[in-house]
Amino acid sequence: MAMKILNALITGLAQGSMIALVALGYTMVYGILKLINFAHSEVFMMGAFLGFFGITALGGKDAPLVAGVGGTLLAMFFAGLLGMLVERIAYAPLRTRGKGKANTRITPLVTALGMSVLLQNLAQLLFTAQYRGYPQLLPIEDTRKVIFISAFSVMIALQFLVHKTWMGKAMRALSVNIEAARLMGIRTSRVISITFITGSVLAALGAVLYCLDQSQVYPTMGVVIGTRAFVAAVIGGIGNIPGAMLGGLLIGIIGEMTKLTAYSGLQDVLVFTALIAVLLVKPTGLLGKASIEKV
Amino acid sequence: MSPSTLGDGARTSRAASPNPLLRRILVTLALLGAVVGLEFGFDTLVPDVALQQLVLFALVNVVVALSLNVINGMAGQFSIGHAGFVGIGAYTAAIVAGHIHKALGVDDILFSNSFIVMPAAILAAGGVAAIFGLVVGLPSLRLRGDYLAIVTLGFAEIFRLVIATAQTGGDVEGPIAKFLAYLGGQNGYAGPDRNGVPQYAGPFWIFGAAVVAVIIAWRLKFSGWGRALRALREDEIATASVGVDPTRYKVTSFVIAATGAGVAGAMLASMRNGNPTVQPDQFTFAYSFDAITMVILGGSGSVSGAIVGGVFVTFTVKMIEQLQRFESVQALQAAYPSLDLNALRMVVYASVLIGLMILRPEGIFGEREIIRRKPRQRVSHAPPEPLPARTEAEANPESETGPLTGKAEK
Amino acid sequence: MKTAHPTRKAPTAEAGKPLLVVENLAVSYGGIKALKGVSLEVRRGEIVAMIGANGAGKTTTLKTIVRLLPIATGKVVYDGKDLAAVPAEEIVGLGISLVPEGRAIFANLTVRENLEIGAWNHKNRGAMDETLEDVVRLFPRLGERMKQEGGTLSGGEQQMLAIGRALMARPSMLLLDEPSLGIAPRLVADIFEAIARVAQAGTTILLVEQNTRLALKYSMRAYVLRTGEIAMTGDSKALAENEEVRAAYLGG
Repeated sequence: MAMKILNALITGLAQGSMIALVALGYTMVYGILKLINFAHSEVFMMGAFLGFFGITALGGKDAPLVAGVGGTLLAMFFAGLLGMLVERIAYAPLRTRGKGKANTRITPLVTALGMSVLLQNLAQLLFTAQYRGYPQLLPIEDTRKVIFISAFSVMIALQFLVHKTWMGKAMRALSVNIEAARLMGIRTSRVISITFITGSVLAALGAVLYCLDQSQVYPTMGVVIGTRAFVAAVIGGIGNIPGAMLGGLLIGIIGEMTKLTAYSGLQDVLVFTALIAVLLVKPTGLLGKASIEKV
Repeated sequence: MSPSTLGDGARTSRAASPNPLLRRILVTLALLGAVVGLEFGFDTLVPDVALQQLVLFALVNVVVALSLNVINGMAGQFSIGHAGFVGIGAYTAAIVAGHIHKALGVDDILFSNSFIVMPAAILAAGGVAAIFGLVVGLPSLRLRGDYLAIVTLGFAEIFRLVIATAQTGGDVEGPIAKFLAYLGGQNGYAGPDRNGVPQYAGPFWIFGAAVVAVIIAWRLKFSGWGRALRALREDEIATASVGVDPTRYKVTSFVIAATGAGVAGAMLASMRNGNPTVQPDQFTFAYSFDAITMVILGGSGSVSGAIVGGVFVTFTVKMIEQLQRFESVQALQAAYPSLDLNALRMVVYASVLIGLMILRPEGIFGEREIIRRKPRQRVSHAPPEPLPARTEAEANPESETGPLTGKAEK
Repeated sequence: MKTAHPTRKAPTAEAGKPLLVVENLAVSYGGIKALKGVSLEVRRGEIVAMIGANGAGKTTTLKTIVRLLPIATGKVVYDGKDLAAVPAEEIVGLGISLVPEGRAIFANLTVRENLEIGAWNHKNRGAMDETLEDVVRLFPRLGERMKQEGGTLSGGEQQMLAIGRALMARPSMLLLDEPSLGIAPRLVADIFEAIARVAQAGTTILLVEQNTRLALKYSMRAYVLRTGEIAMTGDSKALAENEEVRAAYLGG
């Protein structure tokens, strides 16, 4: 039993660090725009497909290193592009329009939701609803190590980006006061684009890692993982980058632990219950600081 | 059958008509006669069974859209889990109707017996859904709109997943597990003897429910309660400062919306010639999204909009099902296996929704109605007006200056 | 890049020529006319004050000059350049810095980071460090709090940070919106002395201030705004003695 728990812990950490990568995208966008980017889960799914096609085109199992690295980079590049497009098409036009109109709070939620449904069904049209097997590039133990190491190095890099670079300062400034940031000469639409690109690139990396572990890709995969990642971001304190990492790990470990019990089917019920509980008890999440204003 | 005749028209005409009570009774009788007539004349009026289904389903969706409109349109909150309330209503009604039908001991679905079964099923469905609405609405005490949206989604998914993943085969222990097993898991609930939920809801009940829902929605919108809700949506702080308690209004709007959805669920479960099994897959996020589309296409806050949206979305959904029966379409799908018409529909809907939000965020009707409401005359016992209804333009000039200064100079 | 220094720049040969010209400016939001044809002029090296009651349109004027609000009709010309087509992001690059009402500092960034963000337009490290030293010389309190988060500062310190942050862009023209608002009286004097020093070094200043006494004391000329229109203009000293101004804004 102890061995089983240890194993679940290790798998949970790998799963969790992958979820954290996706959670970062939610948290970064929310931090800056106070917008739940529902389409993020579908960018994740698209990233998985892009990685699948990239890896297959680059030789798949015959050239694991080239295909793995090349395919992942391709997926990250195009997912970044997609993330930027989503923002430009669905969110940017709303920002420039006058405030004070009716339903200003609801419109971005609707476009976000619409974007998510659009991408998911577009994937069904483009790739069909069938499940596709991902090429097994590495033995499963090694895959988990790769997941863990790459996820963590990326997170450290992200912390560096946000706290030490000009772009990071601009992102944080923007998240406090977008008008003041413009007065400083910060091109806000560019910073927002870069935020979406960064989040999407991380989601694509998470997607490829996830598929290498779970070995399947299908158009509705974004819903499950996207939800878990979103919950992770909220539990950690949405808008808070270390919080997303912590939340991701927690969700990963809890998920694997439930699999040990008789209620393995209830994993996502548990995830949602945890979400509602956190929102009700401490809406700012575990690491969140600022209080969430009511409407 | 215009709702305005019974809604505020009745009140405004009070001065003109010598006997408003008589007028109201007459209108009610006329409507009652119409739905009873439909119960028996529907088959002649619409001979095609598929089309009958479509009409009834559209009416159920109108009720769904009208109820969601209370939260998303009037209260300015955002629920993305409305299918959960419909599902709760459907399961509750199916259980209640199934058991009463069994107790009646008559195998045939008699119209007379429907007056025993349906009121009980509707009350139970609405009541249970209302309780859940209260539970889901309570977080609005402390959560911002987008967080609240997530709570509604979480609730709907929990409801669906708990039922769908329940163990049904073999031995199950404990009352909760036994109850869940009884609900049939992924396969759905088909009555106490698993031979189908009794289908008592014919045109009388479904048309009747739709008419009542329209009247209630209309009256709500133009009541003092509806105006307070709209004022809260535009500027919560200002409205609260004149003595309107935001919390109470928001929670109440959730309860009302959930009740309406529960009743719609009851109709869905017992719809004549409909699906005799209530299944968890009927109440996925896709259905919630359809409901959102109905409300937003028509125009958030508009009763007419919700009706048009509900009918339109239902017809397109069914149209695609019909299309797929055509040989030419089947041949096309054989040639292009990835051509998923439903996915195509969703792509189109989502694009339209995004485009609409960008170009015309107020929807087709905005908050307007097809039938203009007559200007109200001062009536002594009119509900108190907590705030004058505000127009969009004067909604909140301060907010245009953004977060920089907080207060603008006017 | 401008090499001239805000606290050292001597008045140039062009001193006295108009730097900022606002012509017949009208702005409205949500159907309400906030400005109904405001015209004003600020010459190089001047300190010009804009006074008036709450809601007269002072903040709106400043926000329109820096293009945060759209111009309905009229013109804003800075240094011979029409600002109509310039987005807000590019205003600071032209040499105008606004210290917004309510300070609007970045609460989650440290004092140093706030100042660095102020120099977003020229990331030449050497020049930035030099400007930073000048700002600290102007406001020694900021120097002691470099690593603190902006949100932990007192109101007066936040105002110093907001002014310092604006100076980091080395502006030729500084717009100040209510620098005394909500600040301990002891610090208000410090802040106005600092503003005077900035002006002395050659930075042109347009000052919006509800505290009419202070505004007239520190400025050379002033405009009186009333419900979106210029009601009076003239020498600050003369205005301070004007009966009408005394009655309306100086409490008799």
